[in-house]
Amino acid sequence: MRNKFPKSGNSQLFENSNSSMNRIKLYSIISLFLIIVGSGISYWTSERIGFYTTALMETQDILQRTSELYSSILERETNIRGYVLTGDSKFLTNYQQSLLDAESLLKKLKDLTKNNPDQQNYLNELEELINIRVETFKLTIVYYEQHGNLDGFISPARVNSALNGYRTIKDVVKNIESEENRLFVEKNRSLLNNINALPFIVGLISLFSISVGFVTLLSIFHYNKVQKIASNRIKNYQDQLQEHLYQLDDSNKELEQFAYVASHDLQEPLRKITAFSDLLKEQYSETLEGEGALYLDRITVASNRMRRLITDLLEYSRAGRITSEEEKEVDLNQIAEYVLDDLEIAIHEKKAIIEIKDLPTVLGKQTEYRQVFQNLISNALKFSKPDEKPHVIVSCENASSEEVNKLKQLDSSFDYFKITVVDNGIGFDSNYADKIFAIFQRLHGKEAFEGTGIGLSITKKIIEKNNGTIYATSEPGQGSKFIILLPDIKTIE
Amino acid sequence: MLVKKPINILIAEDDEDDKLLIIKAFQKTLPKENVICVADGEALLQYLNRTAPFDQIEAYPLPDIILLDLNMPKKDGRTALAEIKSHDNFKKIPVIIFTTSNLKDDIEITYKMGTNSYITKPGSFEGLVKVAKEIENYWSKTVMLPV
Repeated sequence: MRNKFPKSGNSQLFENSNSSMNRIKLYSIISLFLIIVGSGISYWTSERIGFYTTALMETQDILQRTSELYSSILERETNIRGYVLTGDSKFLTNYQQSLLDAESLLKKLKDLTKNNPDQQNYLNELEELINIRVETFKLTIVYYEQHGNLDGFISPARVNSALNGYRTIKDVVKNIESEENRLFVEKNRSLLNNINALPFIVGLISLFSISVGFVTLLSIFHYNKVQKIASNRIKNYQDQLQEHLYQLDDSNKELEQFAYVASHDLQEPLRKITAFSDLLKEQYSETLEGEGALYLDRITVASNRMRRLITDLLEYSRAGRITSEEEKEVDLNQIAEYVLDDLEIAIHEKKAIIEIKDLPTVLGKQTEYRQVFQNLISNALKFSKPDEKPHVIVSCENASSEEVNKLKQLDSSFDYFKITVVDNGIGFDSNYADKIFAIFQRLHGKEAFEGTGIGLSITKKIIEKNNGTIYATSEPGQGSKFIILLPDIKTIE
Repeated sequence: MLVKKPINILIAEDDEDDKLLIIKAFQKTLPKENVICVADGEALLQYLNRTAPFDQIEAYPLPDIILLDLNMPKKDGRTALAEIKSHDNFKKIPVIIFTTSNLKDDIEITYKMGTNSYITKPGSFEGLVKVAKEIENYWSKTVMLPV
């Protein structure tokens, strides 16, 4: 199973760019918040300005109406005086009119100052005083109408009370005016304060927003820089990876070359050894004494075996290599059929029974799977008991997930087929269960069973290349069982 | 029946051992002087063109067939084959590639270049003798060669 490569680049890079992204978000939120608060405060301030402006206008209105009220009071006095002096009823009409005016003004003023208890008090006081005066005027008018003059009506006490009443009214009006003036000054100050504060507040908020904006901008620049560095590093890493791939490719080619050279160049002298020993035997067999001919035979046998080893080694190096053959869906039932055809003679000779049960379709190369089944079934025939007919069962089931998890070289995200090849042969010691898959490993002497010990290693190589695994269980004399797990993948991604 | 003159074989082979084995094998069917060996492709073409050191016409007759190894120093089999097959006079001489290589590419390319046979060197001396007999039999008895 291949080792997994680390994920691209180093993760720190991504953390860096993530933290600066977070900073950008934070700054944007802060500046948005500041802008909202700033707008709120500005709005509030302008509301205050509006409020104070209205209040000032009100105060001005009150002042004006107060002075109008005062004028109407004076007008009344003047008209009364005119009436009693001349007896002209026009004065009386004017008097009535100013009486109404004063009443409506007073009402209006009360209404305008309803939130100010001081002014309300003053106004009530003023109203009372006016009423007292009006009572006096009424009496005066009644007296005048009855007598045609005011003789006997005017007394020092009445004159005094008239003077006092007038003075008191004037004082109260003055009080109202001074109170209203005080309010005017106060409100004016507040208005000015607000007007003065507005540019300051707006300026401050703008300053904050601009600063935060700048910081955000800087963070974005920083983020871009980090991103750039990160993407550069990723690119470097990709280049490195590419470079490594090229190197791997080169070294694969070298290895291929090596296998080719090894097989051909090693076979060259071997061929000559065989040829010359043949020649020697042919020309000098009569003159060879003692065991000379035997030694020559030994030379030939050893060379032939060496040649087989080299051929098999070459085959092993080629197994699972990229070839022109396309990977496709392979029906293993069909493969098994081909293999049985190939092994027909051996099966017939050994009178073997071979059962092929429903096999799956898997992804891979036809010739490779053919090699796998050829090796496994011919092994089962080769290592059969001499006194028993070989019986081989090839079957398939779905591998349980516990089984897949147990085999750590498998990817547990896939489903697996579990293909078993069971025989009733001589079996082997389970201590050797791993060893039999190693290249050139043999459990028996080559005199007992021929072969180079390469078949199972080729099988293993092919199965592992197809992302599967193979293992074996057995006991001496109890037959052996080969288990292949292959992923249930139908199409090439 | 007319007794045929034995054919002349020119062998281009750089390996001394192989040269010895091939000569030994052919000597079973042909007279010694009909089997001539050169060491590489360059020598082969010098021989055919009769340039020094092969400038004596009598000693170096034009061969009936050529046995050509592919992997040789100086001028390899492919180059020599190309030169022979592009030469007006020499291209009529049958060329047999006789090599250890059994690569699909080598076989296909040399046939495309005009070789007449492609034989992989046998592993044993017996095999070599058999091949030598077949070559001799085929090219001297079965087929007609240009005079």
